[in-house]
Amino acid sequence: MKKLFLLVFSLTIAVDSFSAFESTYKPLKSEKVLFINGNILDGEGNELLDTDLLIGNGKIIALGKGISIDDKDVKIIDAKNKWITPGIIDIHSHMGVYPAPSVRTSSDGNEATSPVTAEVWAEHSIWVQDPQYALALKGGITTFHVLPGSANLIGGRGVTVKNLQRNTIQSMKYPDAKHSLKMACGENPKRVYGNRGQAPSTRMGNFAGYRKAWIEAENYLNKLEAYDSKSDEEKMVESPPKRDLQLDTLSDVLKDEILVHIHCYRAEEMALMIDVAKEFNYKITAFHHGVEAYKIADLLADNGICGALWADWWGFKHEAYDMVQANIAIVDQARDGKGCAIVHSDDERGIQRLNQEAAKARAAGNKAGYDISKARAMSWITSNPAKAAGIYHETGSLVAGKNADVVLWSGDPFSVYSLAEQVFIDGALAFNRNTGFGPVSDFDVGIVDPREDRVND
Amino acid sequence: MIKIIYCLALSFISISAFSQTLVIKGGEIYTGLNQESFIGDILIEGDTILEVSTKPLKGDVVVDASNKIITPGVIAPDTQIGILEIGAISETRDGDSDIYSMGFSVFDAINPNSTLIPWNRSNGVTSAITLPDFNWDPLSGMASFLLLDGSLRVNGMPDVALTGEIGALSSGSRAESLILLRDLLDFASILDEKDMASSKKISEAIEDFEIAELMDLQPRDVIALYNLLNNNLPLIIKTNRASDILKLIDIKKLYGLNLVLMSAQEATLVADEIAVNNIPVIVNPFDNIPDSFDELASNIRIAASLEKAGIKVMFSESRTHNYHLIRQGAGNAVANGMSYTGAIMALTSNVAESFNIPERGRLQQGMKADLVIWEGDPLEPSTFPSKVYINGNDMDLSTRSSRLTERYVDKRDLPNTYK
Repeated sequence: MKKLFLLVFSLTIAVDSFSAFESTYKPLKSEKVLFINGNILDGEGNELLDTDLLIGNGKIIALGKGISIDDKDVKIIDAKNKWITPGIIDIHSHMGVYPAPSVRTSSDGNEATSPVTAEVWAEHSIWVQDPQYALALKGGITTFHVLPGSANLIGGRGVTVKNLQRNTIQSMKYPDAKHSLKMACGENPKRVYGNRGQAPSTRMGNFAGYRKAWIEAENYLNKLEAYDSKSDEEKMVESPPKRDLQLDTLSDVLKDEILVHIHCYRAEEMALMIDVAKEFNYKITAFHHGVEAYKIADLLADNGICGALWADWWGFKHEAYDMVQANIAIVDQARDGKGCAIVHSDDERGIQRLNQEAAKARAAGNKAGYDISKARAMSWITSNPAKAAGIYHETGSLVAGKNADVVLWSGDPFSVYSLAEQVFIDGALAFNRNTGFGPVSDFDVGIVDPREDRVND
Repeated sequence: MIKIIYCLALSFISISAFSQTLVIKGGEIYTGLNQESFIGDILIEGDTILEVSTKPLKGDVVVDASNKIITPGVIAPDTQIGILEIGAISETRDGDSDIYSMGFSVFDAINPNSTLIPWNRSNGVTSAITLPDFNWDPLSGMASFLLLDGSLRVNGMPDVALTGEIGALSSGSRAESLILLRDLLDFASILDEKDMASSKKISEAIEDFEIAELMDLQPRDVIALYNLLNNNLPLIIKTNRASDILKLIDIKKLYGLNLVLMSAQEATLVADEIAVNNIPVIVNPFDNIPDSFDELASNIRIAASLEKAGIKVMFSESRTHNYHLIRQGAGNAVANGMSYTGAIMALTSNVAESFNIPERGRLQQGMKADLVIWEGDPLEPSTFPSKVYINGNDMDLSTRSSRLTERYVDKRDLPNTYK
């Protein structure tokens, strides 16, 4: 009897300690670097002119004027007239799941075979040789979040990725970052399934679909919890509830272990989605695309929900018709600046210049009457997306002790003429424009001219 | 007596309104020509530029443009402005014909009240070329030119270019597309004025030429083909692969075509041949993605490389709603090696010249007064126009977007529907 008990106990341990597809990420060799006299936008809303930044052991060590260090191993970078920002983070990317070239055989972002596919994980679709990561790196992207597409009401799990291209997705995954759950409102799910003569074919059908899924998830979670609360003797005679991949994901949301990210354009749909979240007691982290977010900016701020938005996209769908360029600024400034605005790309070209997209959004906001500083707008592409990915405690701003994800820009990052000169991930140089140091995916090797690599600029 | 004074006053008003001149003073002027900018004045009467000078000019109405940059109005070369309102709503799209291929003209479909017109205008685009969908292989319909002045009788020029596409196909072969293109041009080259005398004559010619009949060509399709060979009609071909570009250069030389390349992502590999053959190229300066196996040599320096080879460059943007973002694209081209003056030309005069659009694209005596006064550097995407003139008219810069913004930054305690 005692022996048997031990066996059960050890089995439980084994199940708990194995986390499937765990990150095996290891940074490149970090350097000790002192950036001297740079203009710093720290991602926390501060602009620090002519300031030094010291990094080492993969971390940010110090920021300040006149940092002196007596260490012959420290590399000095003269950042005079240059700008330094945190590594740029894109909270909405499909790199890897919709790689380049965009061929059908590698378009793996939408499991559009059923309106609820919470069981699928974006990381199982990611092609690690996608040549687009290197292009994004040259735009200062150090971290990005890959989501499933928006064909489904509930599309599956998204994953946060370090922009260091490797041969397995496990070795690119951001360690210990929570998954996201991708949900979608509006035209896409109702079009995809309505065209097949199945539910949902309307927006009300969409909402019935979400609620049905959450009722099942609640039910599943209740069964799991009921089993967990049983005594060890009871557990020996009664088998645990059968594991369900789809409901695993949904119940993890209800346990606050997965962050909810929702593709949603219209104001009234976002407001309804907030009520669905309240009905089933989970939290929404961000609405994505949100072309009408400005119409409910206060509601988003009151509920602590970020708007992950474009600077100016519009017109491709009816739900994307009411575009205002001040959208991001209005969301940011809601409730006296308590709003959370994020500039996202959802695009392999846009991800290369999120700084320019932030510049446009800021200019439009100031034209509309706000007074938004560059330092504030920098949070839209650094600390705010870090918060929305659940990694803000480690990255997204230049604060001592955080990971040294740093971009050195040739000039003001809000100018179209400024380019990322050097990009550091976890304190290690990942790209240097001046020396040509940077990653080359296997895809790029010898494909145009067998003697050379494809020019991935 | 009172009556007479009234009449005099009226005539005075009407004469002065007609002959009133406008002078824009002290701006930094980029003329759209290959020259450095200079500080100067621009004198406008009616729809025409009377003079551009570094010396002070006098006019009835004075607009101060000091510390501002003035450029010709941006001409957008590859849009669907006016024939597309909402992408996903097919009823709002007018770019496609089932019956006509090359002879299909989009001009009659242009909606001057489209929200895309004030939106792009408020961002500095004063005129555009609008293209049909690329739905036929290898040649589709004709592109039209329009002013973004919102006039209900569209101001523009129908059928300024023919369009087509050569490249990767999901079924079939590009070799077939290239042969078909040559067969169509062979057919056009045997036609003379007599064959073109009436629709009946053209129909007879179609019956006599197997491929023409097989493709179900209509008389107006044949007229378009004929104009390619006989009236210097520009032919815009969307293509990417370097080897396809070389084949098109051969065809251009063989038939004497006025070829314009579009997309042309691998143009850098064959830039010298494109330059020698005087072929203008429309590129998307953002597009460095190897999006297909036809575009493996894509890179961000394409505009700079083509400019350096001596090629006339124009800019495109993949989203027609925000076509004005070719300004941001131009800024990126400059950041990656293109000259600033070259980028301004790419947005203005190069388009007018490539598509034979008279009197636009440059700020010079005798040209139509399409121009923009910018609050700052026009290639910075965070810069907005302060004034936009089309045919000398000071255009209103309101847009549906600016109106919605006003509603939602208005903090009065009222529902937005009552603001």
